[in-house]
Amino acid sequence: MSSVIPPGLSASDLQLERRAVIKQIAVLCGLALSTSSLSLMADSFSSPRDFSRRKERLFNAEQLALVRELGELIIPATDTPGAIGAEVHHFIDHQAACCLSAQEQESLIKGLQRINSTAEKLYGKAFLSCTQAQQVALLTQMEQAQGEFTAQDRAYFKQFKGLVLLGYYTSEIGASKELAYLAIPGGYKGSVKFSTVGKAWAFNF
Amino acid sequence: MSKTIHIKQAPEKFDAIIVGSGVTGGWAAKELCEQGLKTLMVERGRPVEHRKDYVGEGVKPWEMPFRGKIENQIVEEQYYIQKQNYAFNDATKHFFANDRDHPYSTPSDKPFSWIRGNQLGGKSLLWHRQSYRWSDLDFTANAKDGHGVDWPIRYKDVEPWYDYVEHHVGISGSVENIPVLPDSKFLPPFEFNAVEKHLKAKFEKKYSDRKLIMGRCAHLSKPAPHHIEQGRYQCMARNECQKGCTFGAYFSTQSSTLPAALKTNNLSIATNSIVHSVIYDPKTNRATGVRVIDSETLETREYFARVIFLCASTLGTTHLMLNSISEAFPSGIANSSGVLGHYLMDHLYGAGANGTVPGFEDEYYSGRRPTGIYVPRFRNVTRKDADFLRGYSFAGGAAREQWNQFASKDGFGVEFKNAIRNAGEWRFGLRGSGEMLPRYENQVSLHPTKKDKWGMPQLHIECSYSDNDIKMLHDIADTAAEMLESAGLKNVKRFIEEWPPGLSIHEMGTARMGKDPKTSVLNGYNQTHDVPNLFVTDGASMASCAWQNPSLTFMALTARACNYAVEQLKLGKI
Repeated sequence: MSSVIPPGLSASDLQLERRAVIKQIAVLCGLALSTSSLSLMADSFSSPRDFSRRKERLFNAEQLALVRELGELIIPATDTPGAIGAEVHHFIDHQAACCLSAQEQESLIKGLQRINSTAEKLYGKAFLSCTQAQQVALLTQMEQAQGEFTAQDRAYFKQFKGLVLLGYYTSEIGASKELAYLAIPGGYKGSVKFSTVGKAWAFNF
Repeated sequence: MSKTIHIKQAPEKFDAIIVGSGVTGGWAAKELCEQGLKTLMVERGRPVEHRKDYVGEGVKPWEMPFRGKIENQIVEEQYYIQKQNYAFNDATKHFFANDRDHPYSTPSDKPFSWIRGNQLGGKSLLWHRQSYRWSDLDFTANAKDGHGVDWPIRYKDVEPWYDYVEHHVGISGSVENIPVLPDSKFLPPFEFNAVEKHLKAKFEKKYSDRKLIMGRCAHLSKPAPHHIEQGRYQCMARNECQKGCTFGAYFSTQSSTLPAALKTNNLSIATNSIVHSVIYDPKTNRATGVRVIDSETLETREYFARVIFLCASTLGTTHLMLNSISEAFPSGIANSSGVLGHYLMDHLYGAGANGTVPGFEDEYYSGRRPTGIYVPRFRNVTRKDADFLRGYSFAGGAAREQWNQFASKDGFGVEFKNAIRNAGEWRFGLRGSGEMLPRYENQVSLHPTKKDKWGMPQLHIECSYSDNDIKMLHDIADTAAEMLESAGLKNVKRFIEEWPPGLSIHEMGTARMGKDPKTSVLNGYNQTHDVPNLFVTDGASMASCAWQNPSLTFMALTARACNYAVEQLKLGKI
C-alpha cells in the first residue's frame, strides 16, 4: 500500500514517539548544556528495536576457553577489568559466527590451532596448561613471526587481536571505564589538554 | 512495455509533481508549496519520520551485539554494493538501498558503485554534509578547454540562490575571500585542533597558492532563530549523523525542507511509489503526469500535474526519462539531442597521503567534529601548472590514533593496554576530490533484457576513468605526500586506492544543461529544451562536475528553477 500523507498534516504530527526527547531539547535550548543534562538526553534514546539477531556461536568449549585466556593476555585486567571482565570471548564467539566470512572463520580457527599445536611442540602441553611466561613468549614469537611461526601465523594473530580490541573497546567497560566515552559531547572543542581528559576517547570521529 | 501495464486513474490533478524526496526533491517541495502550488511528492521508498524512525540513533556501541558490524550473510546477499560506503553499518543500513532488490548492470571490466538511499528523505539522511559554492572557474571550465558543452549559466546567476538556500539550511564555515571558493552566508566554523593549526601555518607559509580552511558543512554550529523555528537545534558533535539526528542539527529533508513544505498545507506525499515513466501528451507537447508502480502491491496508477520536477537522483532521474518512451521521443523523453544518459561523471576520491605528526602529546580535543579541514583547489587556477586539465581539492584532518589503529601495531598485555589508554600519536591525512572530465562514452542506458522485480528495465552503467583522470589521481597522491613531508610529518604514506566510479556518491550529468538543444537536455533553468513543463534539478543536470561537493549547488539550482517555473506558470507559458 502506498501511504499518501494528506495536505493539512503538520510536521509535528509526524513526531510521535520522541516527544519526551524533544521536550528536553526544547528546555535545553534556553539553558547551558551541562554534563548531567547531556547524559540525561543520551539515556532518553529508546533501546534498539531492529536488533534481533542470529544466535549462532563459532567455537566449541575448548576453543572458547582458549579465546577467553588469549583475550585476557592481550587486554589484561589492570585498574579496570580486562577482556574476560568485558566478556570479549562471548562477543567474538557470536560476532565471528555471524559477521565473518567462511574464510575468515577458518583463519581464526587455524590461528587457535597453531597456538595449541606450537605449545605442544615447544612445551609439551596445551597452551592453557603453559605458564604465563611461556604463553607470553609464544604469543610474542607468533606476532613477530619468529621461531616456529611464519608470516601467516603473524596474520592470524593480528586478526585475532583486532577482534579482541573491537570486543573490548566497544564494550561498556572498555569504552566508558577504560577509555572516555561521551554519548552526546554537546559540542566540539579543538584544543583541550590531554591531562584534563586523562585518557583516550573511545571514539575520535 | 508501458503499453501492457494496466494504469489505475487517480482523481486529483496537482499543480506540480516532484519525483524524489532527497536534497533536491525536498527543496522543490518547499519552494513550490510556498509559492502556493498544490504539490505531490512521489517517493519510491518507504516513509521515514523525523526522529521516530531513526532507530539506530543514540544506541550505545555495546548495545549492538556485533558492535556496528552486520551479519555477513545479510551483507553479501543484500548489500554487496552499499557495503562499500563508509557510513554503512548496523545503525544506518536501513537507510541504504537493498542491492538484491535494486539490481543494475555494468560491463564486467567497468565496475560502478551505485550508492542509493531509497526512502522518504533519500540520501539527504546519509550525505556527508560538506557544502561549498562553485565559482566561475567551474562554470567556465567546459568553455575554456572544450570538454563538455558550455554551461548556460555563470556564478552571478546562481549567487543569489546560494544566499537564499544557505540562510535556510545553515552552513558552518569561515569567511576566507578565496576567489575559487566564494564564501557562503556562514554560521560559525568548527574549531581546528592544535595539529591542524600548526599544519595550516606550515602549509600557508610554504605554498602561496594554498590555504587550509575548516570544512564548510550543513550543520547548526550556532542555530539562528529561524532554525530553531524549524525545530532544529545546535549540533552536539556526535558525528553519527547518518543514523539520523533528533536535534535536526544537520540539514536533511526531514529536518528542514519537509517541515517547511508541510506547513503550507499544499503538500501531498506518495511513498512506495516507483515512477515508471513520465506521461507525455504530443498534442500539447507537455508532460501531463507520471506512471507509478506500487512497490508493495505492484499495482500501477497515474498522477497528473501541470508541471513536473524530476529530483530522483542523477541516475534515478535519467533512468525514468530513458524509460519514458513515446512516438515523439523513442529514446527517452526530452531526448531529441540524443545526449540523455551520456556525460556521466563522479569525483576522483581514491588518492591522497597520510602520516604521523611528532609531538603535541598533551594536546587533545573534545567531541566528534562532523567535518574536517579543506584545501581549496590550487592546480590550474591562474595558470596551467599540471599535465592534466582541471583540478582538485583536499579534505582531511588530524586526530590521535585510537584503539582500532593499535590492532596493526605489535604488542599486547598491560603496557599495550596502557598505550591505548594514553592515546596514540597524532595522524594527519589529505584525500583529494578531483574533477572528472565529462565524456560521451561514460553513459547509462536501459538494459535490453534485464529487469528488476517491478518490471523496470535495469540501468546499464558504463563508466571509467580517462587518462586525464588517472594523471590527476597520481598528482593528488604525489602532491599530498610532498605537502606532508615538507611539513615534517613522519611515516608518510602515499596512496591510490581501487575506487570504482560512483563510490564518491557525487554522480553527476546524464541530462546536462547547455545552450544548444541539439547538444543538451536542459536549458539554464533546468527546464528540458523539448518539453517546457518538465524540469530536472538534481545532479543529472550538471554539465561538469567541478571539484567541490555538489549538493549545495543542487539546492541553489533547484530553488532557482522552482522560482522560474512558477513565473512561467503565472505567465501561462507552461
